[in-house]
Amino acid sequence: MADLLERVVVPVASEDDAETSARALARQSYGEAVFVHVVEKAGGAPDKAGVEQRELEAEEMFEAARAVLGDVETDIYYGTDVVETIFDAAEDVDASAVVVVPRGGNRLVQMVTGDVALRLVTRNDRPVVVLPADEDGEDSEDVT
Amino acid sequence: MSDEELAKDLGPLAALTIGVGTMIGAGIFVLPGDAIIKAGSMASVAFVLGGVIAMFTALSASELGTAMPKSGGAYYYVNHALGPLFGSVAGWANWLGLAFASAFYMVGFGRYIARIFGLSGTVGVGPVSMSAVKLVALAGAALFVFINYVGAKETGRLQNAIVVLLVAILAVFTLLGTLRAAPENLPEARSVVTTLETTGLIFVSYLGFVQITSVAEEIQDPGKNLPRAVIGSVVLVTVIYALVLVIMSAAVPQGFIAGLYENLAPGETAPIAVVEVGQYLQGAAMGGALLFGGLLATASSANASILASSRINFAMGRDRIVTPALNEIHPRFGTPYRAIGITGGLILLFIVVGDLTLLSGAASGLHLIIYGLLNGALLVMRYVNPKEYAPDFTVPLFPLLPILGGLLSFALLAFVATDALFLSFGIAGAAILWYVLYARTRTEKQGILSEHVLSRSEELPDAAVSAAAGVQPDGGQYRVMVPLANPEHEKDLITLASALAKQRGGTVVATHIVTVPDQTALAGAAERADEIDETSEQLLDRAREDAETFGVDVETHTIISHKSFEAIFDAARTHTANLVVMGWGPDAHGSPGRAESAMDELTEAVPCDFLVLRDRGFDPSRILLPTAGGPDSDLSASVAQMLQAEYDSEVTVLNVTDDGREEAEAFLEEWTADHGLADAEIRVEEGDVESAIAAAAEDATLLLVGATEEGLLRRLVSGSVVMDLVDDVDCSVLMAEKHRKRGLLERLF
Repeated sequence: MADLLERVVVPVASEDDAETSARALARQSYGEAVFVHVVEKAGGAPDKAGVEQRELEAEEMFEAARAVLGDVETDIYYGTDVVETIFDAAEDVDASAVVVVPRGGNRLVQMVTGDVALRLVTRNDRPVVVLPADEDGEDSEDVT
Repeated sequence: MSDEELAKDLGPLAALTIGVGTMIGAGIFVLPGDAIIKAGSMASVAFVLGGVIAMFTALSASELGTAMPKSGGAYYYVNHALGPLFGSVAGWANWLGLAFASAFYMVGFGRYIARIFGLSGTVGVGPVSMSAVKLVALAGAALFVFINYVGAKETGRLQNAIVVLLVAILAVFTLLGTLRAAPENLPEARSVVTTLETTGLIFVSYLGFVQITSVAEEIQDPGKNLPRAVIGSVVLVTVIYALVLVIMSAAVPQGFIAGLYENLAPGETAPIAVVEVGQYLQGAAMGGALLFGGLLATASSANASILASSRINFAMGRDRIVTPALNEIHPRFGTPYRAIGITGGLILLFIVVGDLTLLSGAASGLHLIIYGLLNGALLVMRYVNPKEYAPDFTVPLFPLLPILGGLLSFALLAFVATDALFLSFGIAGAAILWYVLYARTRTEKQGILSEHVLSRSEELPDAAVSAAAGVQPDGGQYRVMVPLANPEHEKDLITLASALAKQRGGTVVATHIVTVPDQTALAGAAERADEIDETSEQLLDRAREDAETFGVDVETHTIISHKSFEAIFDAARTHTANLVVMGWGPDAHGSPGRAESAMDELTEAVPCDFLVLRDRGFDPSRILLPTAGGPDSDLSASVAQMLQAEYDSEVTVLNVTDDGREEAEAFLEEWTADHGLADAEIRVEEGDVESAIAAAAEDATLLLVGATEEGLLRRLVSGSVVMDLVDDVDCSVLMAEKHRKRGLLERLF
């Protein structure tokens, strides 16, 4: 397992997501982590929110991750397809795996937004590790 | 591709369609009927006139956009150049102007739906009733707000296709229409005033180009594409408006348009002029195409406006003109959902309360205010010409065109319908109040204009300087000004000021006040500027270094003046100081020989809190604080508290009384507890106040006294109790005088 988590890319989509992912990762033994936020571009049309606005937002996410894990590598990526861009990022940093934590949400919300976690596991070109989000993760690990 | 290229992915066509798409919905598909009825054959002229006025501003917007391709567009430029007072006006006007415009587009959208499905009349229960058109408008607005709230990126791409389709439909309509056009069909021309009023009515058709600048940061190669899109969209829509209006007047028999509005049953939905003309000229196919086109056009106008308004909200929040909480991005949708939600609520409200002319009038009026300010912003940027200002596109015939643009925009306001005009000015006035009451203490950004005026305070008239200073944002920041004259005391004063500023997270403003004899003209002194500069620079450099050891921000200024006390008061006001820390002694700020004239200057109250240090070496380790209560000892207490936090000082609080020891001790217990000095040692003495303090001060390194009444400084230079005391003790003495009150008017002007 240690090899798989040697150098991981952690895509984050919100401050809460960053914190949850960082906590989930903290419970594992891992090598290095690169937190990545993808600014989703409309590709030739105005975006749903300004780029600068989302860059500021990304910095807040990275802060949330640092608050848990200390100093971690971070990077902002831009792309029309979030999932593809995440794998691009993984390739850039030569990651051993992409680490995701499920973000829940009902079907309707997933339909509107596209469930990134699901598409990550179905369209992967490198290992994708899905970590449990709940705080009791350690307990269940002890049981197994 | 670099990150920058990836982030900037709006091509020239996409940028152009934001402008055209926002404008064309109103100009062609809602307003032509009303315009022709009002102005007759001059309707086309009214539209061209609007286009010309818009073009001046489009040029200015292009230059500013290429120099500052930032989110927020017009608001950002005005705020940046003219400062947050005007920024607040521009931001609110732009935000609400877009909400009014969106409400207007949606009512237009409602008309198209009503026409397609043959809806008419009113729906309602009891006294509450609403026309079918408004109900559809509300439903449509809710839908487009929802789309933007959850953020469907497909709508953006759809916009390009919609605009291309609309232009194609209108091209066919115009081409086929010219075959039928004949000059004798033209309705009679109306007067110039009526034409201008018509321009005021239809100016809502020229709001879109400025929305391009609000997404400027996403445009590829903005230096080239932004001016093309902004200017191109104005040219394109002006030509389309003019041609379509000519066809609509010349290709149908006289009275055709007017006839459409006659014999309408009460509550019946009015027909849509462009659709009726299309149907009359080219049959049901063209009628249907225009009907469908109008639906798409009004929808895309509203959609683009909602999107643009969220960019303006972001920029306003970033500058703290409104709360940045508005900028929260939805964790899942990735949209600025709060801003969009609030804008959506406003749009729904405006649809309910406003009629079509009020909505379009308010949108026009507010945008004309912005356009006027935008041209002003350009003039300021060019005139001040800051180093970082390097536009790729420059307005030709400067300064003629921006001056014309500003004047014409403000002039056209006179032809906006009266109720809408009042509403627009009411909103602008409310935005000024908003700045004074809310934003001023929060925003930190200072305009290029006031920076410029303040940095040249010696050369410019006082009124201009104090006006600029009066509306400067204070950012809620604590500013400690230190007037420096004698290099010997520089270190102690700066150390004291920095320690206080550090405790409050504030800034030290080191000011070198150069006094010259009355006989020397200030201009003459300025000629010796090199000499003064050198001394000043050395002094202020040292001040900067000393303050930086505390890690506080430092500002430095040099002021040349005849009267040193007055200069300190003036500088305290100009630089919006919260506290002045100054030295005083036989050789500091005015000699005893000039005491009487100095006294005359000081009959007024201090402009902010003052601390005056009689410096005999700064050592805050043992502080003596005599008090009998009162506001000036409140200031002494907070200074003692801050020094204690910084230097871990021992503080002794002293009360001199003849009324009994126990009572005095109880008073001091309570007073120290109230003033955060609970761990201070309490000391009560009896007898003569002055000698008791002097005796107690023998153990102290710093005596901290509050003025017992207003006018400490005045009494200082005239010789009074406090001054004798200052001479009686051997330690340094710090005298505090609290600023009593500061009216709103004084803060403003």
